[in-house]
Formats: sequence, C-alpha cells, structure tokens
Amino acid sequence: MERLTRVDFTNLDKMLYPKDGLKKLDVVKYYIQVAPRMLPFLRNRALVLTRFPDGIGLEGFYEKDAPKGTPEWVKKYRTYSESAHRYLDYVVCDDIDTLLWLANLAVIEFHIPLSQIDYPDKPNLVLFDLDPQLPAGFKEAVIVAKLIRQKLFDRGVKCFVKTSGKRGLHIVVHIRRDHIFEETRSWAHSIGIELAKETELVSSEKKLVKIPGKIYIDYPQNGHSRTMACPFSLRAIQGASVSTPLNWDKLGESKPPELNLKTVPARQEAWADFWDDPQKLG
Amino acid sequence: MSEEEKQPQTGRPIWSGTISLGLVNVPVRLYSMIRDKSYNFHFVRQKDTCPLRYQRVCTFDDQVVNWGDVARAFEVRKGEYIIFDKKELESLRPESDKRIRLEKFVNFFDIDPVYFDSSYILAPDKSRDAYSLLLYALEAKSMAGVGKFTLRTKETPVLVHVYKGALILTTLRYADEVSDPYVVKDLAKLKEPDKKELELAEKIIENLSGNFNINEYHDAYRENVEKLIKKKQKGDTVTIEPPKKEEVKELMAALQETLEQMKKK
Repeated sequence: MERLTRVDFTNLDKMLYPKDGLKKLDVVKYYIQVAPRMLPFLRNRALVLTRFPDGIGLEGFYEKDAPKGTPEWVKKYRTYSESAHRYLDYVVCDDIDTLLWLANLAVIEFHIPLSQIDYPDKPNLVLFDLDPQLPAGFKEAVIVAKLIRQKLFDRGVKCFVKTSGKRGLHIVVHIRRDHIFEETRSWAHSIGIELAKETELVSSEKKLVKIPGKIYIDYPQNGHSRTMACPFSLRAIQGASVSTPLNWDKLGESKPPELNLKTVPARQEAWADFWDDPQKLG
Repeated sequence: MSEEEKQPQTGRPIWSGTISLGLVNVPVRLYSMIRDKSYNFHFVRQKDTCPLRYQRVCTFDDQVVNWGDVARAFEVRKGEYIIFDKKELESLRPESDKRIRLEKFVNFFDIDPVYFDSSYILAPDKSRDAYSLLLYALEAKSMAGVGKFTLRTKETPVLVHVYKGALILTTLRYADEVSDPYVVKDLAKLKEPDKKELELAEKIIENLSGNFNINEYHDAYRENVEKLIKKKQKGDTVTIEPPKKEEVKELMAALQETLEQMKKK
C-alpha cells in the first residue's frame, strides 16, 4: 500500500475520552475527516497546543514550544517570548501531515492566534467571544449573537458564528490586515458597549466578578498573545464537543453537546465563503 | 543493610556429590554464595522498546548459522582451525566433577589469598553426621582441606574450610594464572625513600588507620540506577506500542478520502 503520510502512529488504543470510550484512534480519525475544512484556519499561525497524552481525565498541558522529537519537516516559527525570557519555536500547521503528527501527540485542542506569522501585529480575525454567566446559557448566547450580527450588518460588516464547544458562541470576522490589536480590541469593545446599552442581556465590561445571568463579550481576547479555539477543534471535556462553524439560519437548532466528534464530520459546510471577502472595520 | 538484603539468597543447589578424604565420604550439595547485584539492561529497539535477539552469522557469506551447525574450534594459526566434538572434550574431563577429593590438610592462614577465586556454600546432602564431623574436626585444628574439583567445565584446586559455622568451598587459581608483580617493568629498581619523607608517610597512614569493616562500602552506581528506575516508573516510562494493522488501515482509508477531497478543491 502506498504510503499516504509521513506520520507513524503510535498507541492508537490509548483511551483519551474515558467516559465516552473514545481512543486516540478516534481523535486522529476525526482530525483526518475535518482536515480540509480546518487547515485553512490553522495555516500560517503560531499554534498553542493542549496535549492530553493520558486522556482528558488527567492534567493536560499547554505547549507553545515545539516538543522534543519534533521532526525536521514540521514547520516552526521562532519568536521571542517576554514571559518565558527566551526564544520559542512554535509549531505551524500548514499541511495534513503536521496535523496528523500533532493528533498523534494527543493534541486534543488546537488554539490559534488571531494574527498570522508573517504579520504578527496585524490580526486578520476579530473575535466576539460570547461567554454566558450562569444562569444564562447557550440560549441567551444565541440571542446576543443575533443582535451582534445585526449591529455588524448595519455597519456593513459580514460575520460568521461557531460554537465554542463549551456553553458559549464565537463570532468571527475576517478582516483586512490594516489594524493593530489595540484597534481591533477597542472596536469589539465599542460594539459591546453599544449593545449593553440596548439590552440587559449583555455585559461589556471585564469586572472582577462576572455578572450572573449576562452574556459577557470578552473583547480582550483580541490580543497579541491571546488565542481562539480553532474552528473544528475538539474540546477536552466529556462529550468530545467541537467548536463547530454554523450557518446563521440554523443557529439554535443544535445544542453544543450535539456538535461533537461523532456528528461534526458528516455536517454540511457552513463557512464556505469565510475567506472570500476580508472586511474593513466599520 | 535492608531486610531484603538479610534474606538468604541461595536458590537451588548448583551441584551435588561427595567430599572424599581417604575412605570417608561426605555427601554434600553446593550452593552459590556470591552474587553480582549489578542492574542488567536488555538491548531493545529505541523507537518501540521491542526486545532484540542475536543470530550467529558466518563472516564470509553472511548466512545465518543454526546451533545444530555450530562446532567448537581451536585456532592454531590465523585462519586455521582444529574442530573438536563436544563429546571429545567431555571425555577429556577428569573424574573430579563427581567428587571433591581432599588430598592434604594445611593451615588456612598459610594460604596466600592472592590465589582465592570464588566461594560456594557446602551443605549436607542426606547424612548430616558426616558433614558435622568434618566441620568440627577442621575447626578444632584450624585447618583447611586442599583438593581438586571440576565445577561445570574447569578443573581447579579447591579449599574446603570452615566459615561462620559451615563448610565453604573456595576455588583457587593455578600458579601460572597469577602474574608476579615484577612482570610490570616499572616496578624494577625502586629506590628506598628518604628517611624524613618515609616518617611523614607513615604518620599519615597512622592517622587514617582504623578497623576494616566491609559494610562501610556500597555500590553508588547501582544505587543511582535504582533511584532513576523508580523515578522513571513514576514519571514517564516510554513504552510506545506499535499500532495494530486494522487500526492503521481504518486511518489510511479515511486519509485516502480526505486527500481526494483536498485534490478537488
């Protein structure tokens, strides 16, 4: 049989989601299936990986620096980290082999920065991270998401929606690389402030105690060293839910736990035109 | 010493036979007394810890040679061999592999310890009376019996002597197996040192003198290896299992589909 990948798989029957009975084999297969839709979001970015070599029940770990034993064909991006006081070699996932190699390392969650490695200071994504504060939940997040969509539409800005994989929603805008993070951050903040005036459901300020019952728009996620769960990334929680791109028309039809490793690969493409029109901040 | 180390470490007897002195026979069993406690490592393949085995290969034609086709040979000149049959070699062995014949008794402390090789525990086999008799007699006279014995394949001179209330067999080296120190040329023509320097050296030795206690010494390397083994057991022990064929097939099928999808884009 012709060799289809450079990756040698190991320990495929390692249990990664014990309560769901999902092994590494299932996780790798999942990423193979969603690769065509996921790779465009992974490419050209300095990845932050969360690895769970012993499954989600035990401590996973964040990894920015390429792990020991990274093959030489894996693309890396070297940059100085202020917090670590040294240079870090981030893994860049531009191709399916790299994605498979990462999945084999039990990387369950893929987190992407909002900018790409060729212009690290100029993001091409803006994120409205809708974070429901209990007792508010997914239902409330859906309402707020639609309000944001309307606001952006009024300003001539096109946006896309996905589940976070937990209880919230992410609204993502593909923008032209004209602005630095301070600008995209304050733009997202201003929209949140406007919305907070119009509805009780929204909280736009990062206060010490998040207000219960409100949907907090986490605008500071638009930052240099911040990341977003990559579209189609698994979440390391029971149920193996996925951060799933959705059609605005179908928003609310499925609850986050229903969008998971087993159901997502068969779903129809929802963000087909995501990369078509880089938007201007309106 | 830990509890573990104080436990008897003998296992099964490695030989049984008799010690004969004249017409008296003492039936005995031989047990291991000395054990090397170094950690043994196995050779494995690095990427998957798969154990290795060895094969005998002919140096000329690289053919694998099975045990049935192996012979013992003595190299008389480079590249010239004389083959010996296993049975031939066995027939050359003297009878001393059936019994330890003691020919002489000597003062134990007259024996030069440079010839001592290894020691084994002798235990009575069936008759305890004969064993006991020899033990007490040797102890009373502070003497050791000297004889010859073939253990496994080599015949060596041996001592049978008393140690901690039991009879011990100690194998000895032949005289021509032990070099005289003067074979080392640097040792010839050593001059006597200066009197004052000698006094100083003797003082130093006096200051550092004490009683010999073998328990003061321990194998640090072995202890470090043991610590590291325990550490690795708690931490990440690398056992990478190779995937089963069906699992890989399933992934390759999915990958095939994905690659085709990507080609179309």
